[in-house]
Amino acid sequence: MATAELTTTQKPDWAGRYFHIDQVLNSGGPRTDPQFAAGDEVKKFLRETSKILVIGAGGLGCEILANLALTGFKDIHVIDMDTIDISNLNRQFLFRPKDVGHSKANVAAEFIMKRVPGVKVTPYFGKIQDKGEDYYMQFHLVICGLDSVEARRWINATLVNMVDESNPDSLKPMIDGGTEGFKGQARVIIPTVTSCYECSLDMLNKPTAFPICTIANTPRLPEHCIEWASVLEWPKVFADKKLDTDDPEHIGWLYKVAAARAAEFKIEGVTWSLTQGVVKNIIPAIASTNAIIAAACCNEAFKIATSSAAYLNNYFMLIGTESVYSYTFEHEKRADCPVCGGEAVDINLKSDTTVEQLIDILIEKQDIQIKKPSLSTSTKQIYFQAPPQLEQATRPNLEKKVSELVPDGGDITVTATTLPFNLSIRITYSS
Amino acid sequence: MLHDAKDINSSTTAIATEAAPDNKTRRYDRQLRLWAASGQSALESSRILVISGTATSTSILKNLVLPGIGHFTILDPAKVTPEDAGNNFFLEGSDSIGKFRAEEAVRLLLELNDGVDGNADLKGLDEIIDSERGKEWLSEFSLVIAHNLEQKVTEKLSHWLWQDSTRPPLVVVRSAGFLAEFYIQYHEHAVIESHPETAQSLQIDKPFPALLKYATSLDFENMDVTDHGHVPFVIILVRVLEEWKKAHVGNPPSSYEDKKEFKKEILAMRKKIDAENFEEAESQAYRAWTPSKVPSDIHALFSDPQVTNVTPTSAPFYHLVHALSRFVEEQPSKTLPLTSTLPDMKSSTDAYIQLQNMYKQRAEEEKEILKGYLKVPVDADMVDAFVKNSHALKLLRGKRYGQAEENKVAFAENLQTSPKAYAIHLALSALSSFASKQQQGAPLTPTEEVLTSEAQALLPPGADLPHEFADAVGEAIRTPTADLPNVAALLGGLVAQEVIKVITKQYIPINGYCVVDMIDMSTAVLG
Repeated sequence: MATAELTTTQKPDWAGRYFHIDQVLNSGGPRTDPQFAAGDEVKKFLRETSKILVIGAGGLGCEILANLALTGFKDIHVIDMDTIDISNLNRQFLFRPKDVGHSKANVAAEFIMKRVPGVKVTPYFGKIQDKGEDYYMQFHLVICGLDSVEARRWINATLVNMVDESNPDSLKPMIDGGTEGFKGQARVIIPTVTSCYECSLDMLNKPTAFPICTIANTPRLPEHCIEWASVLEWPKVFADKKLDTDDPEHIGWLYKVAAARAAEFKIEGVTWSLTQGVVKNIIPAIASTNAIIAAACCNEAFKIATSSAAYLNNYFMLIGTESVYSYTFEHEKRADCPVCGGEAVDINLKSDTTVEQLIDILIEKQDIQIKKPSLSTSTKQIYFQAPPQLEQATRPNLEKKVSELVPDGGDITVTATTLPFNLSIRITYSS
Repeated sequence: MLHDAKDINSSTTAIATEAAPDNKTRRYDRQLRLWAASGQSALESSRILVISGTATSTSILKNLVLPGIGHFTILDPAKVTPEDAGNNFFLEGSDSIGKFRAEEAVRLLLELNDGVDGNADLKGLDEIIDSERGKEWLSEFSLVIAHNLEQKVTEKLSHWLWQDSTRPPLVVVRSAGFLAEFYIQYHEHAVIESHPETAQSLQIDKPFPALLKYATSLDFENMDVTDHGHVPFVIILVRVLEEWKKAHVGNPPSSYEDKKEFKKEILAMRKKIDAENFEEAESQAYRAWTPSKVPSDIHALFSDPQVTNVTPTSAPFYHLVHALSRFVEEQPSKTLPLTSTLPDMKSSTDAYIQLQNMYKQRAEEEKEILKGYLKVPVDADMVDAFVKNSHALKLLRGKRYGQAEENKVAFAENLQTSPKAYAIHLALSALSSFASKQQQGAPLTPTEEVLTSEAQALLPPGADLPHEFADAVGEAIRTPTADLPNVAALLGGLVAQEVIKVITKQYIPINGYCVVDMIDMSTAVLG
């Protein structure tokens, strides 16, 4: 730890600066672990030693950075691959209109360092996948304020895989927050000890998907017309141009095409806003919910870093639409969790189930959530989605029965680009 | 950059039409999807007063300035102390020490949204609450928020605001270390747009005449196979139910056997084994035997004195509920007016649109009937929203701040039934009582004994304190004056969210205390 370097760059703490925080650090409370090293030792660790990573500098990230800085974390890193958009400004309070188009991580880091003296925030404008284990190993804690399931799965799997039983420092608590409108959740994941992100995938809502035949033949809702414009018409008209949902001209074109189709079918309700909402899969987001969830996450980080109070075990769920309803519970670890469980996932098939049908079963499974799985056993390739030559070579297997390729009780390894790990499934057959 | 934007009403009407949104609509896009132009315009007309510029106060304001309230004032005569500078994001560290806290906070909060107006007022609440001019000034706000205000002043303020129901609602926020609570004082709060998760009934059990006629006249037998596979489930259910009732002296299926038989009859109509519309009708069959009733809490509203004794000066909400009660009483359906919001269903475009038009036409007719019962004219958009949400209306009646605790016996009972949440409330109350007896500005160092005796004074003589009280009071002793940044941020979110609900009259705010424990990360609402 670069303590020396830090002390040279920061302004000295003024007397009274930590008056509020120190009240919880100077002594424990009735529910504090008796091992709590109250006083200078814990303050020194928090302010001089601890190093924390914030993933995401958006709605949650801005709040998280401000809270961490005020509570006394002084070595904070932040990763975000996004740039600032005008629609962020209703909640991402470290950004101003002049910042639109710039890196969220860079602007947020600069703002925090200006506002809270002595705090060092190191931004990285890029993807979490750009970094490897050696990078993640340097932190004591990781807080995630992400909006993508894929990114959460990746960091979760990465942190679980890093755990080396002979090295206690390899265990990196992960605190994960998420919001949607007036609802949100915050949770503490201690890799391999508590349930992990993958254990709870089945809690996610299934995304609304419209059947292609409805879109093509029997549209009824404005959404069907918008999907028709974006999924079917755009690729037909602009074969070489990728749809950019951030480009107002693209949205404008989709809106026009969808509105024309809606008029043809006498469907009401296609608007610019709905068009944008459907194609970008926009989730409503407000400052207040983000503040609540980010505060809950940072409070857990603070409690874990200082032991000044017990930390959340392990899931906090908030619903703010009707009164203030919250539910705190222990989410259970899944023994067959593909990331932290160790046991293979059992899948029972009929003996005449084909490989293609198995792939459909896997895609449908809410607790696995993959789009294009490739299958193999330890001895043979069953089906590969890519590269094209391998896809072509394995394609004939799609029609074969799984039972011709895999014995009863045999294992199949499933891989997919969206899956940050290899999933092992055990196949059994019923007649 | 927002100055050249159109006002939100005209720009969000644009959402419903065709133009690409302007900068202001783009900026507020993610929240307009929750409370629409009507909610936004209510926010923009609001004037919020926040008393004292603590970390919690500025956290609350941040979450109100960002979504765009009209105006806020921070009332605070204090200068920034080194302690303030360490825990408040809306101060500039040690540079702010010695400056006026309200002025520093207002300046930094205004950077968040140039569509918002803000003012720092350096007077103390004591001098305001004691003068006529001050009271007049107070009543011009839409809502007042007070954080960790001295108990006697809080009581004075809450009593005065409560005296007249036209005075602004008050939010009282208290926190100490990991524990916190807030209370919203309002006389009543009526919500039309509660944004319920459940949809209105399609009234399949009571089909309106045009729907019944259409469903019974359809020639399923001779229909082309493709058309047959595209009849919406609503029509299938109306048809099968009508035939069932004919064969069963007018009764819908009631027993388990009946229901099984009913489903079999649906599937027996199929011309193709995989006809998805009939499968959908089978899975939705419960709608045929579930009676479309007026929910009990809506029914209870009908006999509310404000509704039965409605006068020309009553609020439109009561006039609407009164009209609704007459509609239910006098219309043959004996239920709520129909709405035109249909869910998606397996169907051809034409069949769906035809069904939708039937519902729309009938809904329009029933709305006109409802309007006929109104004794005063009501804004058309409000009537539309009312009909759409008539199954999910909400009328909350509040109490004066502190009124609930005046019944010590009830307080003691609550403490036994919900010990954890009430223990936190009791510990924070004891801390406030203790603080009000100390000299202002002196360090606050309560002991367990003194807080326990303060707590006991709030309960009937000899009342037992649950062991949860020891946990709560231990934290109050540990952190009597700590406004922790994470707790401030959490309260900032919770309080702002409830204030937004109160101002927009959308979604349902709390009625009572919301208690927060950030040690085990839980919340509870004490009603």
